[in-house]
Amino acid sequence: MIEQDLKALEEKSIYIIREAKLKFKNIAALWSMGKDSTTMLALARKAFLGKIPFPVIHIDNGIDFPETYKFRQDLAKKWNFKVIVGYSEIKPDLVGSACCGKNKPETLKKIMKEYGFDALIVSIRRDEHGIRAKERYMSPRDEQFRWNYKNQPAELWDDYSSKMEVKGHVRVHPLLDWNEIDVWNYIKQEHIPVNPLYFSRNGYRYRSLGCTHCTIPLKSNAKNVDDIIKELQTTKVEERSGRSMDKEREYVMARLRSLGYM
Amino acid sequence: MKVINIALLGHKDHGKSTLIGSLLMRTGAATKVRMQEAETYSKKLHKRFEPAFILDSFSEERENEMTIDTTRAEIKHKDLAFALIDVPGHEELIKNMISGASYGEIALLLVSAKKGEGIKDQTKRHLFIARMLGINKLIVAVNKMDLAGYSKETFDNIKKGLMTFIEKIGFSKENVNFVPISAYKGENLVKKSSNMKWYKGNALLEALYANAKSEEEKKEGPLRIIVQGALDAENKLVAGKIVSGSLKTGEKLVFEPIGEEAIAKDITVKGKKVKNAEVGENVALALSNKINSELRGTVISSINDKPRITDSLKSLIFVTGKIGNKLMIKFNGIDIGCKWIKISNVLNTVTGEKEKSTKPRFLEAVNAEILISRKIPVENYDVTRELGRFILYSGGAFCGIGIVNAI
Repeated sequence: MIEQDLKALEEKSIYIIREAKLKFKNIAALWSMGKDSTTMLALARKAFLGKIPFPVIHIDNGIDFPETYKFRQDLAKKWNFKVIVGYSEIKPDLVGSACCGKNKPETLKKIMKEYGFDALIVSIRRDEHGIRAKERYMSPRDEQFRWNYKNQPAELWDDYSSKMEVKGHVRVHPLLDWNEIDVWNYIKQEHIPVNPLYFSRNGYRYRSLGCTHCTIPLKSNAKNVDDIIKELQTTKVEERSGRSMDKEREYVMARLRSLGYM
Repeated sequence: MKVINIALLGHKDHGKSTLIGSLLMRTGAATKVRMQEAETYSKKLHKRFEPAFILDSFSEERENEMTIDTTRAEIKHKDLAFALIDVPGHEELIKNMISGASYGEIALLLVSAKKGEGIKDQTKRHLFIARMLGINKLIVAVNKMDLAGYSKETFDNIKKGLMTFIEKIGFSKENVNFVPISAYKGENLVKKSSNMKWYKGNALLEALYANAKSEEEKKEGPLRIIVQGALDAENKLVAGKIVSGSLKTGEKLVFEPIGEEAIAKDITVKGKKVKNAEVGENVALALSNKINSELRGTVISSINDKPRITDSLKSLIFVTGKIGNKLMIKFNGIDIGCKWIKISNVLNTVTGEKEKSTKPRFLEAVNAEILISRKIPVENYDVTRELGRFILYSGGAFCGIGIVNAI
């Protein structure tokens, strides 16, 4: 896995996060309490001199891990930011990608409408999946949350898409250039708190965190951040191989993303 | 590890995505899952294994064997990483091609050596765009050599056929290399191929590396900070990016075009207070006094070396759509209306020749002057890129990119 220059990544992300805040009227960020969206919050604190000047949204279906809930509570208190919790119902007839593609976006839609957010920071990375690699830094979604991936707006230089082409909202992706190992190198460098589920217990750890129904731990003895970095330097296992939804069909992510999956 | 952005260029089906996929495989950068997935899909479409599917992830891209939108993937070689930016080759997808190419530092052009393929209009047009965007370094990979009998003559003909155009649009010879390859078979990519012993140069990766390492002289320009906006309610704490020069605390600054002045009392970079800030850094400046006008889109400079303020943009514009009514430009994060555009001539992007016509055409360039509705700080693109480029919209639709070449 290629380890990129952290300083360059950091500058670009700070620029994008500031653009999001200063360009749009009313923004929020999605926070899953995973490593990527937590790193994004750490970058936002740098961009805004220690404060996080927007609310963060957690779409909670009630089946996240207990460690995840505790992490949410502790970090929100420590870094002093506002959390909006959107409760999403688990319907027994919707499983796997159908669940992620429907339940969570429906809840998010309600929140976006209720608060009138015009942009949403989402901490996806290109190296996670081929479909995510096709995203823009700023990517419009229509009112139904659909991603018109066959006709994305031009995005040149550092002049990111303005809202003039869309009626819905804009997804902002400040971590798009980062690789998984860059995130961990940055967590190490900046001492960013992370969810303990990433560390090995009884020979297993979570590499990518979803809710309890769709996430399985992978074999690993990495007990701390240094171990994880070492593991990633040599591993051939895909980051999201513990996420069941990615495997159902080759391009299921495209469908999910066009439906508004986070 | 330092990352160099490489913009792929070339006509459709000349092998851009295949080359990136093949490089990812052969340098060990493609994960097993991505490879398996590309393999499964190739089988599903009853095709031989297609490395392009590692990049082309939309089902529409795979089924139609074409890249729709730009993406990028990294490989490493020695102490450098290359971010390979894939772009679509189809003419109608030029918007996505430019979006990807705008991030390129080195251009990697693909020309197919296969009979009947060769140098196409789009081959030259992509070169024109890269040069217009300010890319100085170029590698031409002559692809599909395996389908051209590994012929030195074919390679030489393509080289000869392109070199005149390459020099005409302003690349200098010493920054251009030609490499004969087979992207699909992996020949002359990572290792030299035994099928082309007549070729004495580097394999592609090494050629890219040598090209990336030949540093261009960096000129130390005057201070320019593009202001993103105020971080506080009083307009005393300002966020921006240094695009030229450097800054120290206590320096007296001016905001253009509004002309208001202030002293930088504190400078914060990445959450830490510093005495000096350099080009490329995003700063937060605590000012000695508040600024009374809107800050977004203003440019900070030292009071002794200010950028020029103008409402007239003499530019080269690459046309990507219909230039009609309701013209506006996007310039450093702000939208500005245009009063008129006067086109002096069309510049043919395939021949590199000026035409008498003043009627803009899709995929050609024009030399033009635009009068915008208010004055802004502007510099020539080759002086300060960020202050000399804009995106043109007509009736809300993307219709061109412009670089300012005379102020």
